[in-house]
Amino acid sequence: MNAFANELNGARGIDAALHDDFEGGSGGMPTLQLPNTADPTGFLREYTDEQNDPSCRIKINHGTTTLAFKYKGGVIVAVDSRATAGSYVASGTVKKVIEINPYLLGTMAGGAADCQYWETYLGIQCRLHELRNRERISVAAASKYLSNITYSYKGKGLSMGTMICGWDKGGPAIWYVDSDGSRTSGNVFSVGSGSTFAYGVLDQGYSYELSDDEALELGRRSIYAAGHRDAYSGNTINLYIVKETGWTHKGTIDISELHYGDWKPKNENEFRAPSEPYGYDIRHGTE
Amino acid sequence: MCFLTRSEYDRGVSTFSPEGRLYQVEYAIEAIKLGSTAVGVATPHGVVLGVEKRSQSPLLLSTSIEKILTIDSHIGCAMSGLTADARTMVDHARVVGQNHRFSYDEPLLVESCSQSVCDLALRFGEGVDEQDDDEQMMSRPFGVSLLLAGIDERGPQLYHTDPSGTFMRYDAKAIGSGSEAAQSELLDKYHKNLSLEDAQVLVLGVLKQVMEERLDEHNVQLAQVTQEESFRILPINQLQNAISRLPNQQPTQEPQQ
Amino acid sequence: MSFSPYTQNGGTILAIAGKDFCVVAGDTRQSEGFSIQSRYETKVWRLNEKATIAANGFAADCKQLVKRVKWRLETYKHAHNREMPLKSIARMVQTMLYGKRFFPFYSYVIIGGIDDDGTGAVYGFDPVGSYERETCRAAGAAQSLLQPFLDNQIYFRNQQPADPTNPPIPGTLPLDNVLAIVTDSFTGATERHIEVGDALEMYVVTNSNCDLGALQQITQSATKTDLEQVAREEAEFNGPKSCKTFKLLRQLKKD
Repeated sequence: MNAFANELNGARGIDAALHDDFEGGSGGMPTLQLPNTADPTGFLREYTDEQNDPSCRIKINHGTTTLAFKYKGGVIVAVDSRATAGSYVASGTVKKVIEINPYLLGTMAGGAADCQYWETYLGIQCRLHELRNRERISVAAASKYLSNITYSYKGKGLSMGTMICGWDKGGPAIWYVDSDGSRTSGNVFSVGSGSTFAYGVLDQGYSYELSDDEALELGRRSIYAAGHRDAYSGNTINLYIVKETGWTHKGTIDISELHYGDWKPKNENEFRAPSEPYGYDIRHGTE
Repeated sequence: MCFLTRSEYDRGVSTFSPEGRLYQVEYAIEAIKLGSTAVGVATPHGVVLGVEKRSQSPLLLSTSIEKILTIDSHIGCAMSGLTADARTMVDHARVVGQNHRFSYDEPLLVESCSQSVCDLALRFGEGVDEQDDDEQMMSRPFGVSLLLAGIDERGPQLYHTDPSGTFMRYDAKAIGSGSEAAQSELLDKYHKNLSLEDAQVLVLGVLKQVMEERLDEHNVQLAQVTQEESFRILPINQLQNAISRLPNQQPTQEPQQ
Repeated sequence: MSFSPYTQNGGTILAIAGKDFCVVAGDTRQSEGFSIQSRYETKVWRLNEKATIAANGFAADCKQLVKRVKWRLETYKHAHNREMPLKSIARMVQTMLYGKRFFPFYSYVIIGGIDDDGTGAVYGFDPVGSYERETCRAAGAAQSLLQPFLDNQIYFRNQQPADPTNPPIPGTLPLDNVLAIVTDSFTGATERHIEVGDALEMYVVTNSNCDLGALQQITQSATKTDLEQVAREEAEFNGPKSCKTFKLLRQLKKD
């Protein structure tokens, strides 16, 4: 394990890490410092892994329910906005859709920082690809770039489950990439602790022939279900649609307001209000 | 045989002559004077770059000659000299620009971009093998000069970089084989309040004067950077339009616009 | 014995943004376990005329982090001939925290100040660099005591607006109001959390439009009371039209 530590750090000691601000512009990957112990991964787990030890010191923000699916009109991306550190709700306003560039979206599940950092990094690599090749990067290539990164850190403790969504020459595309190094394309994905709940709604309502309106509604309804049943998901829904011209944000939607039927679009860009409240007891008047 | 008088001090790239000169760097600067002419003009509204695309053969496709490149959405450059060297510099500038966006969530300043290109230009020397640093040293100085045009919060700016790693800001600057004549023409015609359209005509006019071939939309290229449209190379119809505005210029084709 | 480089030094920090100001505050108690090491160790540092940083968790990591941030701000100034803007500081801090992803800084960071458009801004971070711009954020030992209070007072959560057609907008409270909320937050946390107390430092970052009346009032009223000693000091003045940062010190209970 120490061999890996030295390999990652290269000839650069703590001083180099301290001074590393990218200004050199060598184009290499950022250097991440490792603890000088026999088992750096075990060290990290001891202090940050709340799955094994809820009393661990350093609480890293986690989430989530995210989903994306392809249909004839493009791609729908919908996510919740809750970040939890242990059982504490660290934030209810997290942007779990990372706008990599005007036609690429990445979703965030797992470690918030891992997703935010590497997807931002992916953004600049996509831009460099564009400058060097005078052509936008394909979704497949962008996702492969990310999976190469996650694979190179395999077993080191990264935690990411992300969907890279966009539209390229081949039409709409979704690639699932995670911190194990997996990379698969598909029509329907949901990732995160609430994904089982989202899949339940998503699968029963999904068809490739959905209209834009139906597709947006299905995405929203699925995240609502997860927000309702999964304690680690909730607060608000961020809804996106990807078309040939790029992505559009279709609103930030309060899950409680959907439950009680109070939610209204705040401007003309936001998706319409649902026809009835989402809450079962509200719809059936049992409360 | 005048080069004999240079003695052996012109061999090593890191050896000063007794008069305090680095001949290899000076020769590199000479190399640019063999290159095609490039002109840049800064106005309050933006910067215009123009290059001559000198064709060695009628069989050469002029569309494959690239002498203006985009560095980032707000910065671009024109080059003269060994253009292959410029690709290294431009790629470096692009990487620095993107890394800056990554590290600071903001575009790189034009001046900082010029500085970073010049930092790279100085990374040549001898004893490459002894270098235990990650950074690979280059065996010779770059043989290319750049005109960097960009726009940022400090307004439109034009910088000139040369193989010695010096960069300076100009209102208007010409480089390459026709640079001496072109620069005096710029000195004569330039004024601080040029419109962008006037600047296009000025750049083309200067190029026309120093070019051996008759200027048309195939052997010149224009680019400009403005706050509204950022950096872009002018498409053929807009280039034709600019050429048609040259005094006493018969358009080779009807402008499409 | 396993490698154990961290300890928890208690204390809590908080930042609230207003329209033309931002308040960044922290208590000054430093403890380890049940033992108080210091009654005056700062957790809040002024970075430049537009940015103030607060860091809480393991004091040594926090100090080291802030030291590196200040060093990077200095190099940036030399490289680019200007002060680093607030949003750039936030992004830079993300990359610095993430640079130690596998050997984290045990620090919860909040940056407060004036953004490019002149409005007050707060950026909240997790220890490995995930960050978000917010209107307010509490972190540290008493985070779970303070944040629900701020959600109610700053974000108006679970409040019925007096005028439903014109609900209050978060981030528009006047300075005197915000300073009162900050003080009440800390006196409350001092009562109910053993690691919070001793004194409260409040850094008020203001832009040139900010009405400083509230600050003057506090200074005057403080001299009249025996219980609360308030010291006011201008951190620095950088010319007439620029942002100013004020530091207010208020005593908290010491038991």
